[in-house]
Amino acid sequence: MTPTEMTAEELAPRTEDEVRAHLAAGKLVEGLPHMSPEYLKGIRRILTVSADTELVSAPAYLRAAQHAPALNNFGSAISICQDELAHAHIGYRLLGDLGVDMPRLIYEREPAAFKYPYAFDVPLDSWHELVMANTLYDQAGFVLLSDVHRSSTFGPWKRALAKVDKEETFHLRHGRTWVKKLCADPEEKRRIQAAADWMFILTLEWFGLPDERKRHGIQLEYGFKGLSNDELRQEWMAAVVPFMDEVGIDVPAHHDAEAGRYVIDCPFPARFDSEEKRWRLEDGAITWDEVMTRWKGRGPMNEEYVARLQKGYKGRKRNVARRSEPTGTA
Amino acid sequence: MNSEVEARLWRALQDVEDPEIPISVVGMGLIVSLAYRPEERAVDLELTFTAMGCPAMDFIQDDIRERLLQEPEVGDVRIEVVWDPVWTRSRIREDARATMRSLGIVA
Repeated sequence: MTPTEMTAEELAPRTEDEVRAHLAAGKLVEGLPHMSPEYLKGIRRILTVSADTELVSAPAYLRAAQHAPALNNFGSAISICQDELAHAHIGYRLLGDLGVDMPRLIYEREPAAFKYPYAFDVPLDSWHELVMANTLYDQAGFVLLSDVHRSSTFGPWKRALAKVDKEETFHLRHGRTWVKKLCADPEEKRRIQAAADWMFILTLEWFGLPDERKRHGIQLEYGFKGLSNDELRQEWMAAVVPFMDEVGIDVPAHHDAEAGRYVIDCPFPARFDSEEKRWRLEDGAITWDEVMTRWKGRGPMNEEYVARLQKGYKGRKRNVARRSEPTGTA
Repeated sequence: MNSEVEARLWRALQDVEDPEIPISVVGMGLIVSLAYRPEERAVDLELTFTAMGCPAMDFIQDDIRERLLQEPEVGDVRIEVVWDPVWTRSRIREDARATMRSLGIVA
């Protein structure tokens, strides 16, 4: 039986207590022999989310990159796409080492089964939206992955994230440099503001359910994350809101000095019109159950992006199958 | 006197790092030549990159300009990007090479 045919219980020999003792001794988990079934399932889940997110950002950013104002800017945007593909590959390769059927995971999953944030299902249709994505989405990715890098008990991923973090820093700088440059012109600033108006709240959602609705339990214990969802959301706002204030872009959040935290100034969560790229804040706050219904239904670009990513593999598979068919001549 | 200023400018350039790895542009061998023109208070730099498609070209030039303009003798920084000599790994300085190895980057 190959590893991809084995269950988590068959692949991961340790008990939960043995894993806890291993971690308590200050050791990292380096592979399957150190894992329990719960640890294996948990690390597979978080690696899949991370790898899917990096993977889909490539076609999402490529769509917007064609709006680059100059050739060298197009080159920078393509380079960012290349980085995202490499970051995805690290995650998927680690999953392969953990007994997951990689080709099946990447190329044969239905679009709706991918686990990346809903934000990427909304199309980026301009250079302004691309650089705002670098500023907001890459910042969210950086906050999440930095948290994982700090807290992770899974050695191979922890070490790889050092380089991922450094490359993501370049993406952040790309976004911020361009946002600052564009905000110097009133018409360009208006378009940057329009991008922030739909993308800021979408990124707030990225960090998931509020703590009162989410049990983190084993995730924190095994170092799959270090901070809670709300703490990560706060860390993201702490990085983004001062920058937006600096460049004069309005966002629906501010720092409450008395409370010592960032406060969201609009109904949250809220209803999102993905066709118009507009938040229907006039409807007031909605429930997180309604948000999860939207997430599960995926957004307008899900099928197109996944089809683009899977096209080459599926086309080759069809050609190989066709060549193997009997010709039927007597 | 000129050589003292130029020596200081070379040292200043060691503060300018590649955006993706913590190695200076000097250590990476990107600075082909540096000349200080005291009558114009200007620095003339010839700069190359590891690849023609280097995505960080604008950032590196901005950072070099910003750093050198901090020096009291410098009022202008003029950068020319050159592709001859062709950058190869042999241009990486030995101390930079050691740092890259410690980061797991083959140099």
